[in-house]
Order: sequence, then C-alpha cells, then structure tokens
Amino acid sequence: MENFIIQFLNGLVFSMLLFIMAGGLSIIFGQMNVINLSHGAFYLLGGYVGLTMVRQMGNFWLALLIAPLLVAILAVVIEHFLLRRLYGAHRHLEQVLLTFGLALIFSDLIQWNWGAYVQSVPPPELLSGHVPVFGLDFPIYRLSLIVFGVVLAAVLWLILERTRIGAIVRAGVSDAQLVSGLGINIHLVFAGVFAVGTALAALAGVIGAPVTTLYPGLDFEILILTVVVVVVGGLGTLKGAFAGALVIGMADTLGKAYISEFSLFLIFAVMAIILLLRPSGLFGLEGIGT
Amino acid sequence: MNQKKSGVSRRDFLKLAGGTAAAMLAAPSLSACQALGGGTSGPITIGLLLPYSDIYAVLGESITDAITMYFDEIGNEAGGREVQFIQEDTEIAPDVAQQKAIKLVEQDEVDLVAGIVSSGVLMNLRDYFHDNQKLLIVANAGANPISRDLKSPYIWRTSFTNWMAPYSMGGWAAENVGTSAAISVPDYAAGENNITGFTQSFEEAGGEVILVQRTPFPNMGDPAPFMAELADSGADLVYSFYSGGAAVTFVQAYSDFGLHGQLPLLAAGFMVEEDVLPAQGEAALGVRSTLHWSYLLDTPENNEFKQAFRERYERDADVFAVQGYDTGRVIAEMLDAVEGDTSDVQAMIDVLPDISFASPRGPFSLDANSQAPRQNEYLREVQMVEGELHNVVIENFGEIVDPGDNSQG
Amino acid sequence: MTAVDTPLLRVRGWVSRRRPWFLAALGLAAIVWPYLASAIKPFYLSLTIDILIFAIFAMSLDLLLGYTGLPSFGHAAFFGLGAYVLAYIASRSDLALNLTSNLLVTLPVVMLVTAVVALIIGFFALRTSGIYFLMITLAFAQMLFSIAIRWSGVTGGSDGLPGVARPTVGVGPLSYSFGSRTSFYFLVLLFFVGSYWALRRIVNSPFGWTLRGIRENEHRMQALGVRTFRYKMAAFAISGAFGGLAGMLFAYYLRGASPEMLHWSTSGEVLIMLIIGGPGTLIGPMLGAGIIRGFSLLISSYTERWETLMGLLFIAFVLYAPQGIVGMLRQKEKEPDG
Repeated sequence: MENFIIQFLNGLVFSMLLFIMAGGLSIIFGQMNVINLSHGAFYLLGGYVGLTMVRQMGNFWLALLIAPLLVAILAVVIEHFLLRRLYGAHRHLEQVLLTFGLALIFSDLIQWNWGAYVQSVPPPELLSGHVPVFGLDFPIYRLSLIVFGVVLAAVLWLILERTRIGAIVRAGVSDAQLVSGLGINIHLVFAGVFAVGTALAALAGVIGAPVTTLYPGLDFEILILTVVVVVVGGLGTLKGAFAGALVIGMADTLGKAYISEFSLFLIFAVMAIILLLRPSGLFGLEGIGT
Repeated sequence: MNQKKSGVSRRDFLKLAGGTAAAMLAAPSLSACQALGGGTSGPITIGLLLPYSDIYAVLGESITDAITMYFDEIGNEAGGREVQFIQEDTEIAPDVAQQKAIKLVEQDEVDLVAGIVSSGVLMNLRDYFHDNQKLLIVANAGANPISRDLKSPYIWRTSFTNWMAPYSMGGWAAENVGTSAAISVPDYAAGENNITGFTQSFEEAGGEVILVQRTPFPNMGDPAPFMAELADSGADLVYSFYSGGAAVTFVQAYSDFGLHGQLPLLAAGFMVEEDVLPAQGEAALGVRSTLHWSYLLDTPENNEFKQAFRERYERDADVFAVQGYDTGRVIAEMLDAVEGDTSDVQAMIDVLPDISFASPRGPFSLDANSQAPRQNEYLREVQMVEGELHNVVIENFGEIVDPGDNSQG
Repeated sequence: MTAVDTPLLRVRGWVSRRRPWFLAALGLAAIVWPYLASAIKPFYLSLTIDILIFAIFAMSLDLLLGYTGLPSFGHAAFFGLGAYVLAYIASRSDLALNLTSNLLVTLPVVMLVTAVVALIIGFFALRTSGIYFLMITLAFAQMLFSIAIRWSGVTGGSDGLPGVARPTVGVGPLSYSFGSRTSFYFLVLLFFVGSYWALRRIVNSPFGWTLRGIRENEHRMQALGVRTFRYKMAAFAISGAFGGLAGMLFAYYLRGASPEMLHWSTSGEVLIMLIIGGPGTLIGPMLGAGIIRGFSLLISSYTERWETLMGLLFIAFVLYAPQGIVGMLRQKEKEPDG
C-alpha cells in the first residue's frame, strides 16, 4: 500500500508532464485540425533554450518565462510561412510531411548546436530537496510538478470556458467558417493557437528537463507518448488531454513499478483497448479526426 | 495552384535550401578524400563505421577523433604506405550499417573496416564480414557472442566484452560491500550479459542476487518507478548498467529519491564515464564501478594521451577515445608487421595476437582465443577532484581476459 | 477533358504509342544494370536491391492508404513479422528452427502468417477510423516491437535473429541457390515486377473499384449493400501479406531479422514514401521508396547534416508537389498553364 501511494505520486508527476505536452498538441489539433509531428522537437528546443538561459543567467524562473516565448515566436513564423498553406482535413498527409520534415531539421540543428552529450538542468534552488513519504525521500521538485500541472489545467480550462477568446477558440473547433463569418480574423486566431500550443510544448521542455534530462532523440520519444495521450483522451478537448495524460502516465508508471518488463507493451495495449471500447477516445469530439 | 499569397516566394525558399545544402556539403569532412585501396601500393584506406547521429554520436565522435589523432601522431603512414579514412554513419540501424559496410568494402574497396558502437549492429554485420573475409576491428560494441559461439576469424576487438566489467565487480562486491544484491539493467542483450557476468562471480564469492530489475529498452523514460522497488528490496547493494541518457536519469533519480548514500550503487564503468558525469553532477558521487580505464589513471601513457587529446580537441578524453586510440595503434602495428601488404587478410590476422603495447589503459594485448583484449580491470569511485567529477582508481584488479565461452557467465 | 497540348502530354503520348519499345528498353536496362553497376559502382546495386524491396513494401501500404483510404501507421508490423518468420525458419541460430531457406516453403509460410496476423489486427483496428485508426495500427505494431525485444528466447531480443541462409529454390538436384548479389537482385526484381503486376490487377479489378468506392464514401457503399468491413479486411490481409513478402526479402538480404524492422520509425518511413510519391498510384510509392532510401543512404556519406537536408526535401515536396510526384505530373496535365 505504501509502495502504491509512492508509485501513484510518481504516476501523477509523469501524467502532469504529459498533460502540458498533450494539452498543447490537442489544442492545435482541435482548433486548427493540424497534425503536428514537430511538437516533440519543440519540447526539446524549449528544454535546450531553457538550459542555455539557466547557464547564462542562473535563473530558472526567467528561463521558464522566456524559453516558451522565444519558441512561440518561432511557431508564429512557421505558421505564417509554411503551415498556413496546408489547412483542412483533406491535407492531413501534407501536414504530416511538413511537420515531420520540420522535426527532422530541428532535431538535427539542436544536435549541431548543443551537441549529442546528455545535459541535465538542475531544479531551482527553491524547490530542491526532499520530503519523506513512507520511508522514501520524495523530491519536492517532482511534487511541485503535480501542483503546477493541476494549476495549469485549471487556468487553461478557465480561459477556454470563461473568456471571449476561449469562446472563439471553442467555436473554431466545431466550425471555422462560422468564426470567420462573425468577422473575426481566423488567421490571427490560428497563429495564436499554434503559438500557444507550441509554447506549452516548450514550457513542458523547461519544466521537464530536470526530470527527463535532454539528449538527441528525446524529441521523438516524447512525441510518440504525447500523441498516444491525445488519442487516448480523444482529439480536440482539454478534458480529453487531461484524462489521457492520467491514463497513460499511470499505466506507464504502475507498469514500470509492478511489471517492468512489459511496461512498453502496456502503454500501447491500453491505447488499443481504449480505442476498441471507445473508437473516438475517452472524450473525443464526434467527427474530429475520423 | 494558387499558393502565392503569403510568405516566402519559392525562389527565396530554394535559395535558402540550396545555400544551406552547399554550406553543409562544403563543411570539412573526412570522407572527402576518397581513393581506391587494396593490394600493396598506393594509400591504405580504412573504413570507419560509426554512429554520428543521435545519442551514440558522442561515442562515434570520440572514437573518430582519437583514431585520427593517433594516425596524425605517426604521420599518417603505416607499413610504408599512406593511410586514409572514409567515414560512414551507421546511425543505430542495422540495415543502414549493412548498406554502409557494403559501400565501404565493395565500392570504396577499403583495406579494412574499424568502428561499430552498438552490439545489435555488430551482431547483424557479423555474417557479412565473415562471408566476405574482410577484417573488422571493433572499437566498442561488447556483445559476448562475438568472442564466443559466433566468433569469426575476421572480427577482432580492441574494446572489451560485456562480461568483463560485471564479472570483475561481482566477486569484489560480495567480499567488500555485502552479500545480497539487487540488479537493475535495461532489458536487452548487453543487460543480460551484465546480469549473468555479475551473478556468476557474485555467487561464487558467496553472495546472492535477490532482485533482478529489467527496465524498458530502448527508451527507459522516467526511472522514478524503479526506485521504490530497489529501496524495498532489502539488498545490501545495487548493481546496475546504463549508458547515455538512461545513465544520467537513473543516477539522478537514485539520488533524488534518497537512495544515494543509503544503498551502495555499483555499476559497469560506462554508467559513470566521462561522457555522462558532468550531467549527473554530484548525484554520481561515491558510485563505484569497474572498467578497463579511468581518466585519473596515473601512468605516463595516460597522462600524455589525455593532454594531447585535450590540446587537440579542447575537451577531455573518455574511455571511447582510449578505445579509438588503441584501435589506431593496433591497426598501425599490424600494417607495419605485414609491411603494408593488405592483400592477404590471413597474414594480417596472424600478426594480431603478437601485438602488445603500453596503452593509456595499461598493458594491452590481443588474446588469440577470444579475439578481444587482455587488459587490466580497475575499480573506480566517483570523487570530486580539484572541482571536477572523475573516477578515482581504488584498486587495480589486474589482467582480465574473456573466457571465450559461457562457462563463467 | 478537352484536348490540350502540353509538352508533358506530348511526351506521354509519345511513350504510350511506343509502349512495347519503352517497356523493352526498361527491361533491358533492368537486366544490364547489375553487371554495369558491379563494374562501376557496386554499392549502387545493393542500393537498388534495397529500393526495390522498399518499393514492394510501399506498394503494399498503398493498397490500404491510397486505394482504401486507411492510413496505417503500423505497417512495419507486417514487414518485421515477415522478416522474423523467415528468420525463425531459416536462421542457423540456436534459437531458430533452422529448417530450410527454400523459397517454395518460406514464401507461402511468410505470406500466410502475415495475412492471418493482418486479419487479426484488422479485425480490431478497422473498428476505428481516421487518426484513431492511424494510432491503433501504431499500437499493434509497437506491441509486436516490444514482444520482439522481450521474448528473447525466440526472437533473439535486441540482437535480433542473425544467420539466415541464402535463399534457394527448387527440389533436390534441381535446386538453385541465390548466392551472388546479382542473382539476388534478379530474385528481388522478379518479386518486384510480380508484386506490381498482382497489385495492379487487384486495384483494377471489381474488388479494387469497390475499395476505391469505400475510400470515397463508405456510407454510400454500405447503402448499396456492400459489406464494406469484409472488403477492408481483405485489403488488410493482402496488404499485410505483401508487406510480409517485402520484410522476408529484406531479412534474406540482411541475413537476419532485427527489432528495428518493427519499430514505428519504419512505419513512418514507408508512410513518407507514399506521401512523397503520391498515394493511390502504385508507381508513386515506388518512386517515393527510391527517393527516400536513395537520398538518405547516399547523402549521409557526404555530410553529417543529412537529416536537415532530408527535412528540407520534405518541405520542398509540400510546397512544390503537394499531391506527390505522380500527383504533380497529373496536376500539370489538367492545368497546362499551372
């Protein structure tokens, strides 16, 4: 039981990290109907930019703010020059090609610039140290990740459900034409959504770096997990991303803890079973992505 | 086709793409100097089959740097002939590696091939080199079967076998640290080699392995879930073998969850080698490991090598660089012994067991039976030395040589 | 279509009027190529073999994605399975059966096993569609990947199953071994032409047109009384069997099976080949296979930054040939001034 509670906490930590990633990817898919395979590359880029800032300025919190911002600017550029040509469900295959191409380029240039060595980012002074949980020291930084994830989920939910911008974005999920009919600049909305979604990936990169460390190849590792989360939760909803993150985060952690040899198998088995029972994921919107 | 509304024009894009491409192609590359080798005259060409992309790139670059450094030191000449290299990127993909091997051997007609980082790649290339009777000098991959049931006369190793480090650690651990052990390794062939090697000598010395933890391969992900099981195991010590990203996350999680200092962590030396130590930071302090080299090994050969490497590449050498350097020396001495005649592969093979020299890792020679090195195995401990983390040599276990069969794990 | 005169159409017309000659020239080139390549650039011959195998693999996926509208992100499952089934029969490793390397045995067994496994996977996966289908097929392939790593007593784990003997064909004294690379090239060429011929017949048969109908509008086909699930299952099985064939050839070529063949990156690679070449054309995926394999294996000899070049190539395709190579050619035909 004590062991289970510790593993449950571990599961929550990993789930929240996945949620920050999946939330971004889910918004991009739901609002823009774009399959974005470069999301993992933005995690890694965010992490490395954060690393450089921590090294240069010695301030984790500043990195947490600025790295996502820089990556968001990059996202706006990509949206404006490339992605904008490819909107629409009938162009999913081209989106796959474009974003996979971008992922390859970023992955390669990141290795060029930061090298292939594993790099670690120390957690901020304020959050280092442990608290005892049933005889095991539990790192405070990891516990704070849980809090951060829940708060972020709440903030995103409030923005989407309670603000005018949120209403526009939600309307865009179901009907982009309606939104532009209302005289709203849909291009601006799309650029904004892509920037925010990508910034979330970069944010996850900065926050996740002390846990996952940074190394070439991590981008695609994270990407696959994130896509699994989004699909399990169902495309296009924040609720889905949150639920999917919990399911996959828990399955991965408990699988590793209790049947470690089969944990890789387990994640995909869980995804297959959920999709068999609910072909649009747990909370997927009808008609999106099918 | 109406896509001209926004953004860069196609011409701009092409210019950008073309410019980038040209810049990259112009970048200095070893492969630029291609020439046909083979036979007894003209330059000798050596194919380098190594990974240069993704996480293994660190190993590929270390080996390449050190091997070229060695040949530069001897004037790029061996057996009276000029020596040239052709580099090929294997990635970590056996199919790519095999295509590149075909290119090097059949098209570039290299005189021999050196390199190979991943054991999986080596296992898949084994038949190609064996059937084509082409000499392959392995500078890293430690798969046991290549020195045992899948031995080929054409494949020799200057690195190690996966049995050496764990077997050396097992006996010492049982006698000096404790008699019950938990093992945590990635779930793949090299992990299994570590389990059997450690268990064999640990149990011979009266110890008992009470837990074996096999973690997901190739992507371990967050190792936090494995920590509780290790903490609860009741073992006196943990033996472990990870490399690259997993080595860093494992050692950090071990420390984050308070196991560091409570439960002694022992490891195969790669887990705390110079390539990962800076990222592990103080979490690695006190980790004891076995390996055939240490940065702090205080011998004239090692000090000279370290200094030369540092001056040339502006970074510290690691064990992979040592392996690359010795690979260079083995090749050069072999070529000298056959007087530059690479046409007879059997003649080259025949001189290999006679090669012995003082390497940065200590006395080095090739064992005719296992076709792998006879070399010292060192017990090391991570300590802070003049503000930097390094492995301090605690004990020299002396010469080790692979048994050439599975009798000892 | 109105009669327009474009250079491209003229070339097409010229070629189609001389079709027999053109085919004969192509055939002759294919026969001369191994001897020419061996003399000048031996690596190009092995590259050609590699490309032909991946072309079969890509064509097999085209039946699903291009003709039936089912985007599978798990096609490596069949490629890898074909390789492992062959290795299990024909490898001299202690783990394997070491029965025979005779194509008369291995070919039917591999295609049968992969078709049956495809039916099982299809039975479940076809309950979803779109991106969910993409991901459930990925899930099945990744499950096979982790089985290959984990079940090391049978699969050889991360090292795979090396030691596959060279292919042979025939009975007793009348058997032939494909020992040389040139003879193996002709074997692969034969399978390549045979697969193209078979798949072409399939997609142009009434069955094939029903698949196209399902791609365009499944509900309408159902309204017409077509049991679409059965058709999709059949497409899945055929596609899986040809994917298995490609995997078998690759394992013969590499003399072993390895887990990487089952990995999602292999599924992704073949998917990209299709998108670049143009899905639903059979010829397009072939060209895609040539471009991807050729480009990545050649360019990486010259620069360490080949992944960036590859990415730029993809983006260039998105900008200039959004419907793939074949799609681009057809587009130009329809809009002569475009």
